[in-house]
This record gives sequence, C-alpha cells and structure tokens, in this order.
Amino acid sequence: MTSSPVTIKRLPELNDPAAQRSFLREIKEFVESSRRPRLIFDLSSVSQINPGSIDLLLECVDHAERSDGEVFVTGASPETEVLLELTQANSVLNTLPSALEAADGSQPQAA
Amino acid sequence: MEMGALVVAAGGDLNGATPGSSLWAPAWPVLGQTVLERWIRMVQGLGVGLVSVVDRAEQPSKRMHTMVEWAREGVERILLIVLGSYAEIDLGDLVRFHYQGQHRVTRVFDQQGPLGISLLDRDSVLADSEPVANEPYRPSSRYDFLGYVIRLSSTVSYRQLVEDALQGRCAIRPSGIQAREAVWIDPTASLDPTVQIEAPCYVGPGVKVRAGVTIRGCSSIERDCEIDLGTTLDHASILPNTYVAPGLYVRESVVDGTRLENLARGVALDLGAAGLLARISNTQPNPARPLNLSAAIDLPLSETEEGREDA
Repeated sequence: MTSSPVTIKRLPELNDPAAQRSFLREIKEFVESSRRPRLIFDLSSVSQINPGSIDLLLECVDHAERSDGEVFVTGASPETEVLLELTQANSVLNTLPSALEAADGSQPQAA
Repeated sequence: MEMGALVVAAGGDLNGATPGSSLWAPAWPVLGQTVLERWIRMVQGLGVGLVSVVDRAEQPSKRMHTMVEWAREGVERILLIVLGSYAEIDLGDLVRFHYQGQHRVTRVFDQQGPLGISLLDRDSVLADSEPVANEPYRPSSRYDFLGYVIRLSSTVSYRQLVEDALQGRCAIRPSGIQAREAVWIDPTASLDPTVQIEAPCYVGPGVKVRAGVTIRGCSSIERDCEIDLGTTLDHASILPNTYVAPGLYVRESVVDGTRLENLARGVALDLGAAGLLARISNTQPNPARPLNLSAAIDLPLSETEEGREDA
C-alpha cells in the first residue's frame, strides 16, 4: 500500500485554452501541496491522443517530478499507446490498464 | 514462339494501394524493387521475351482472350502468374517438369496449397476456348515447390519478406551497394556522419538521413525518404517519399507517407495532421550524390527541403 496522495484526472479539451490553464493550475496546486503525489490520467475515453495532449501530459510529468511524484496513464487505446511510444512519451509516463491499479501502486506495464 | 508469360497483378501492383484498413499495397518495394518487378525479372531470366502484365480487376475473359491470341499466334507454352506471393521457383525446372511429363497444364503448389502459378500448353489453351465434345478430360499436373515462399497479403507478411531478405533467408539482394556486412546504402543516399546503423539494414536511393538518427533491427528505408533529427527506426520499413519527423521512435511499424501501421499492436494511424509524418512530393527528384564507400555514412547533408507536404 502507498500513502502517497492520488488524483485521477481526465485531459481537458485541446481547443479550450482556459480549460487547459485551469487544469494545469489544479495539477500544480495538487503536486505542490503533496509529497510524492501520484497523478493518474484516465485516457479510456480518448480514441487517439494528439500531440498537444501529449505535451500537456509531459508538463504534468515536469510538475510531478519536482515533488518526487509519478504520473500514470490508464485505459490507453492501442492507437494512443502507439503515439506514446512513437513520441517517446512512454519513457516518462507509467502505463497501467486501469486507474485502480495505478492508485494501488501496482508496477507499471513494460512499454 | 516458344513461351509467353502473363502476369496477373492486383491494381495496387501496377499503380497504388489496395483499399482496406491495413496499409498493405502490392506496389510496395522490397529493398528497391517491387515483387512484380522481381517476378518479371525471373521470367525474363528464363529467356521469355513475351511478357504481359494485366490488372486482376479486368474480366477473366480478357485474360483468356490474351492467352488464346498468343496460342493462335503460335506461342507453345504460357506461364500464367497470378501475383499473390513471392516464391523463388526455379522456372527452368518447372518448364522441364512440364515438358518431360508431357503435361498440358502444370500448377505449382507449396505445402499450403496452390501458388497461383501455372504452365499451360498451347493445345490446352485452345481446347479451353473451343471445347471439343469428345476430348478426354485431362487433369492438371502438380509441381510441388519446397523452396522459399511468402504469401503477400498483409503488412506483416511484407515486413517478414524484408527481414528475410536482409537476413539472407531468401535470395533477394537489396539494390545499392553493400557498404559493410549486411548494410546496403544506395550511392545517392545522404547520411549524416552521426547516424548510427546496426546491420542488417537498407537505405535506398535519394534518401536523406539527418544527424542523430539510429537505424536498427532489419529496418529499411525506400527511395526518396527523409528521416529527421534523432529519430530511431527499429524493425521498421519506411516506404518511398515519406518524411519522418525529428525525435520519434518508430518500432515494429511500416510507414507510408502520412500513414503508419504498427504491427505489434495491429493498428494503423494517419499522423499527417499531427505533423509527425508527411508525404514528400516526387516531382523534384533528389540530385544524385556520390557515396564514398570507405566512409559510407560520411556525407554532407543537403540543405534543401523542397517538396515536403503535410509536415
């Protein structure tokens, strides 16, 4: 078991800059108020992630690492998995099938 | 005339892709040459001067008409190849088998079944066109082939053929010059000195490979592609006129223009809008650049970026 604080999020719409700013602000506040936070992004409703969303995830990784935290993505479709591998984002993101496993502190899947 | 060869190719063999969710198209080159071109070369190696390629979409009666015309003009034997595989058949041995056995029709089989290759006598072609009531039924004979065959029906089988060729498991030899053991680089390719290559691999004519690129795992880059800074190709094939953006890790995939098929996950994506892949216009061919074989990857980069689309 882990005592690290956990939050589960969905990515905001890319065409809504205000939503993105608000999303990043929330992430920043969460990681700054936590020790070793676990950020979990549920991508189960995303059929194919786009590069803009990958950039957003990488920003979250940057924030989380400053607090010694981790970022997980869950429920990624095969198309999204291909894009995460192609852009090498999977080298800094932990991938798990479901949010439950990420929250439980399971070991990430091999990329 | 002794022999003619009729090659029946899918439309994609002749000029483009076949429809469907997979990217696979019979027109894809395999280390510099399409399978159709390799078949034609094999037929010509047999000394057959009369070779015709027809589209599979055409009515079968048209094919028959061509063969009947040839038979009437005196062509003694017709080699019919319905393209669907790459097979390293000794066509000379097939002709001897057919001739010595006095067969009228010989069909080629491997362990999985027929390969779509038949040798037909003139009489059998004419008899089929003008059936004779009292003509006794004579079944076709079977020529069993045990050599290298791959049925080309998917992107997976295409990659298998590329890997088999690069690893010397079949007789295909890449075009271009062997720069070192199992590394073939066309003399007109341009590779930055920092490019890392792990054999075996193939780099075709007019290809530009930018600084920091890694090519490994039986990867192939067909003609007039550009692989941008720092990208890694690992068990990947890049088809002609394709631009691959910087910093990507292309693994177990075939890329054709803006489209990528990942074989490990069985999905095909169009990444043109994402700016990760692009189709390079082939209206302005890359200028030929001599290759210094003593330092095969020690060539200056061309600064021209002309012709790129969708990037």
